Amino acid sequence: MKLDKNYNYAFVFYDIQEKRVNKVFKICKKYLEHHQKSVFRGKISPSQILKLEKELKKVIDEKYDYVSFVLMVNEYNFFEHSLGECKEDELFI
Amino acid sequence: MSSSTRYITSMGELSRKDNSLIFRNDKGHKYIPIEGVKVIYCLNEVSINSKLLDFLARNKIIVHFFNYYGYYSGTFYPKEAYISGKVTIAQVKKFEENRLEIAKAIVKGIGINIYEVLYHYYKHGYKELKPLLNWLNKETGIILNKLDNIKQVLYLEGSIWKRFYETFPIYLPEDFMFNKRVKRPPDNPMNALISFGNSMLYTKVISQLYKTHLNQGISYLHEPFESRFSLSLDISEVFKPVIVYKTIFELVNNKKIQVNKHFEKQLNYCLLNENGRKIFIENFEKRLESSFEHSKLKRKVTYNTAIKLEGYKLIKNLVEGEKFIPFNLKEKI
Repeated sequence: MKLDKNYNYAFVFYDIQEKRVNKVFKICKKYLEHHQKSVFRGKISPSQILKLEKELKKVIDEKYDYVSFVLMVNEYNFFEHSLGECKEDELFI
Repeated sequence: MSSSTRYITSMGELSRKDNSLIFRNDKGHKYIPIEGVKVIYCLNEVSINSKLLDFLARNKIIVHFFNYYGYYSGTFYPKEAYISGKVTIAQVKKFEENRLEIAKAIVKGIGINIYEVLYHYYKHGYKELKPLLNWLNKETGIILNKLDNIKQVLYLEGSIWKRFYETFPIYLPEDFMFNKRVKRPPDNPMNALISFGNSMLYTKVISQLYKTHLNQGISYLHEPFESRFSLSLDISEVFKPVIVYKTIFELVNNKKIQVNKHFEKQLNYCLLNENGRKIFIENFEKRLESSFEHSKLKRKVTYNTAIKLEGYKLIKNLVEGEKFIPFNLKEKI
């Protein structure tokens, strides 16, 4: 993956076969916030994006699995609209 | 807001899970991505085990602990990542030979930054501030040049702060009046805010200086025998007016923090309650993450980074002999 901009925010979606899905989940969890069943998102630095991709590549089988990255420059340049309750709180736990 | 700092405000257990972090309590659990986190604040009872500490150390994450009353109790400071004997020796040498130079520079920096903060109120019609502004602008510099021992410098520092506190009745609402600065424990809302703000700033400086080669035990203005990271106390001094007091004034004057809502008052002490603390931290973070145009670097810099740059400046002074000018709100250096 070649980056032409400094992306600092990412959405990651995946479709992974059952026997590998847990491995992928664990890797994503290190870098991003778990948002929905197979969606992660959050702030991430450009170098970490490359690291994450490298780690994922080792685990997945490219014949059957599919991971897609949606990258943003920052978290302010998209509009989010959602239904239902979201428990996320960035700063405080 | 920077996601590299996490605040844990509820009771629970922080532990390691699959090379990442998890925070559990009776309400449920939450994963914290380890990559990107640099500092964790524990503002409530948090259980931790040594397995976690080892893992945090490996990822160079600093953890600050505060006790139930919101007092700073200590820092988990992982094995130093940046050690330089050269810088440590230079620090000691400077302390022995020319401690006053740095101490004076810091006190001067405090004066300038207080002047800047107060000038804002002077401009908005509080003309009573005029005598103090004149004193800060003209006289402190002259007095400072004449001083030749550290006690006198500390005395001048004390009187700058004292005169600063005396201006509070001019521009702050009446219920936030206070007679004098009281610590351990603070006895009224204003003192509580100042104490909490100062210890938050102190931890921020520790986290930033961790990224430099400086030894945090060797200080110039404060005595380096206080078994604390006294260099962080030195560096935080000039940032107090800019970050702590500006945040407090904003919160108090805009009624975001109120005496009857956000404080717990008991027999002889007064503390911020949980909600008050949250409001304070949120605004404090916002101010630290706000940026200004740095006049030397010619680019935008956050106040948080400015703290780190302060460390670099000190190293430059120690190793290369460049003049040490502390952070200056007016010139944005």
